[in-house]
Amino acid sequence: MEKKFKPNIVGFLCNWCSYAGADLAGSSKTQVDPSLSVIRVMCSSRVNSNLILSSLLWGADGVLVAGCHPGDCHYEQGNYYARRRFALLKKITKILNLEPDRIQLSWISASEGKRYAEIVNQFARDITKKGPNPLTRNSQT
Amino acid sequence: MSHQKKEETIIPEKGTVLSAEKGTKRVILDILKKALAENLFDAVLIPAQVPETEAYSWILLQDESLFEWADPLPPVMTVQGGRALSSFSKNGELEQNIAALLRPCEIRAAIELFKLKQVNLKNITLISLDCPGAMPLSNYMSDPQKTKKDFQHILEKWENSESLRPVCQVCQHFSFIDGTAADLHIGLLGDKNKNITLIPSSPKGKKLLDQLEFGTKDSVEKWKTEKQQLANEKIKRIDAFNREWKKKINQANGFFNEFNPCINCHNCMNVCPMCYCQQCYFDSQAINFKPEAYMQKAEQKGALRFPLNTMLFHIGRMSHMVLSCVSCGACEDACPVSIPVSQLFSMVSDQTQKEFKYTPGMNREDALPLQDFTEQEFCEVEVPDECHEKAPEEAK
Repeated sequence: MEKKFKPNIVGFLCNWCSYAGADLAGSSKTQVDPSLSVIRVMCSSRVNSNLILSSLLWGADGVLVAGCHPGDCHYEQGNYYARRRFALLKKITKILNLEPDRIQLSWISASEGKRYAEIVNQFARDITKKGPNPLTRNSQT
Repeated sequence: MSHQKKEETIIPEKGTVLSAEKGTKRVILDILKKALAENLFDAVLIPAQVPETEAYSWILLQDESLFEWADPLPPVMTVQGGRALSSFSKNGELEQNIAALLRPCEIRAAIELFKLKQVNLKNITLISLDCPGAMPLSNYMSDPQKTKKDFQHILEKWENSESLRPVCQVCQHFSFIDGTAADLHIGLLGDKNKNITLIPSSPKGKKLLDQLEFGTKDSVEKWKTEKQQLANEKIKRIDAFNREWKKKINQANGFFNEFNPCINCHNCMNVCPMCYCQQCYFDSQAINFKPEAYMQKAEQKGALRFPLNTMLFHIGRMSHMVLSCVSCGACEDACPVSIPVSQLFSMVSDQTQKEFKYTPGMNREDALPLQDFTEQEFCEVEVPDECHEKAPEEAK
């Protein structure tokens, strides 16, 4: 029998909001899908497109970038820049036919442990439904 | 940060019409010679054919007698002019006045580099000219005489030719740059080969025309009409071009198939005017793994392609510079395995720049899209979409 597909998701969480939100989800014992591997970054705008692309090419079935809500950035404007960069990468993956739905940008504050769990669980369900990422298994890449 | 409302730039009605009986190139060179003789400029940055060879290069010309080398309209684009300008102006202001005669795509690259602080425009006068396109560098190198002849023919007729580089055939910015990029434009269209039209595109350019005693008394209508005709013809070709590429990319592995012949030489990055980083991320050790990781990845993928990260390089480079891409075609000229790099980048830049409502190199004042933002934008990429979530509440 074939093994059930368990996705491999990379989450870039900003130190000030989303990472603390993830922490809160854990300490309040909310169930969070274990397929997300968390990487803490100082700000969502630190996430260069290279990080997302190499994740997708080298083993991730999905990539989540999460930061503070617009207006709440610890560095005041970081998440606005992050949103623009993300929008560009999303558009490029769309044009190049590289499954844009595998990358997601969400805003999660430090107090939103429940929202963190909901977003991660939903994303994990979406990616599980999509199945394995063909890019990570493509010898051309 | 807010978006300033762009001032509408209108092509001026008046300029100078000069007879081109002596030959277009001769007339252009004479204007520059005159400006140099009258000390309006201390040097001119211009393409030149190196004597007794077929090689074209950029020269910073100071000695009037060397104007014999200069060629304002070479058949090929060897080094991107924006890059040439950056190489001597990025480290600070110049005290001398310099005129730079560049193709429109080269001026636009220079303006993007100016925004990136890689070009200093103080005391530099940018002169653009109607560009018929350029021939592929490899064709020129294998048969210079024939390519030159073909190019001369294109220059006389101003008709599209399959022998031009593919991105030049669909170039939308081949003429006057409708913004604050250039100072002066030299129109070759309108009474082709009989007259040339000088159109000022900044107060600096207008002053230059006055100083040269040309003034701005002649109507530029003829040039404008012919330019518009040519632009309309190009627009038709752009649609077909984009459709064709879309079809190719949408096939399974479409993008990878195009880039499969890549030998990872990074020439496209090295010649790209927008790739100005001193150390490219993709040339660094950051993307190398430990030996055991290669075995693991080979197992995962079934087979591992070397050198690693060829596709990551192209998509990554694209995500870094595509909003500033001026579709100059330098990357495609430099590719030793004939990948249609610039056609693909041009197709992607066309669509992404539209999304960001940005045309690179048009206005010196426009902020680079990745260094700017508004608070309510691109909400559709957020999950959940917060702008639209909030909107009904506010309405209450």
